[in-house]
Amino acid sequence: MSAPINEPTDQRLIESTLAGDDEAFAALVARHKRKVFGIAARFARNDAELQDISQEIFVKAYRKLKSFRGDAPFEHWVSRIAVRSCYDFLRATRHDRENVPLDGIEIGTQPSGNAEHAREVLQWALVRLTSDERLVITLLELEERSVRETAELTGWSESNVKVRAFRARQALKKILEASHER
Amino acid sequence: MNDEQLNQLFQAARGSRPDTSRAEYGFETRLLAALRENRGQPTPWAALTWRLTPVFAAIVVVTGVWSYNVQSQTGAEAALGAGSETVPVGLMGGE
Repeated sequence: MSAPINEPTDQRLIESTLAGDDEAFAALVARHKRKVFGIAARFARNDAELQDISQEIFVKAYRKLKSFRGDAPFEHWVSRIAVRSCYDFLRATRHDRENVPLDGIEIGTQPSGNAEHAREVLQWALVRLTSDERLVITLLELEERSVRETAELTGWSESNVKVRAFRARQALKKILEASHER
Repeated sequence: MNDEQLNQLFQAARGSRPDTSRAEYGFETRLLAALRENRGQPTPWAALTWRLTPVFAAIVVVTGVWSYNVQSQTGAEAALGAGSETVPVGLMGGE
């Protein structure tokens, strides 16, 4: 994200943070939190989890700030941390998620145009995927990232992303079909 | 469910972005408070090192005892070895 005129650039805020200015880091967070919350919200089940994941992401970013070389924009760098933190979160909470009930969600093979309903259906089905599958589907299909971007964010190779995406789609279709048959 | 239906579901779901404004409110303040709190605490590695101090102390004591035993045993064997050398000399002298 580029800073408006008269506002310090990300690089300037990073330098000030490294020099011990916490307020500079707060400004950096304020500038990029929308993006980070957007990523984390795809994986969190409620506001408390969203807060926890987002805090974890920015604490990691703060600790690793010295290693930020500025080759890519700060937004990309922090997005990478966000995706990896979300992946860790998914792995850590996988067993809590498996028994989410299908309360009031009607799953049909003809998806309705209602975005909120579609999100609920997908949310229900996504928790039944493995962490890898859920991550790759979220990034490619919901966040509309390219294979290359997904590879950069996850640290997987592009061919690995494609293979995982294919398997994830097959798994998702099976889950949705099975739920429809019930 | 075929690919087209799945794509339609994805497309519909993309239209609904979760509202994060409530969680974002005052986030920087809470984050800075958490960072300041963490800063006062030792890093996990330092904490682990302190927790392992009794183990290191026990290793030092065991090594010290073992080393002392080995030394005294070696000294006794040396003294015994020196004594056994004098016996044959005395015997050879016909005394």
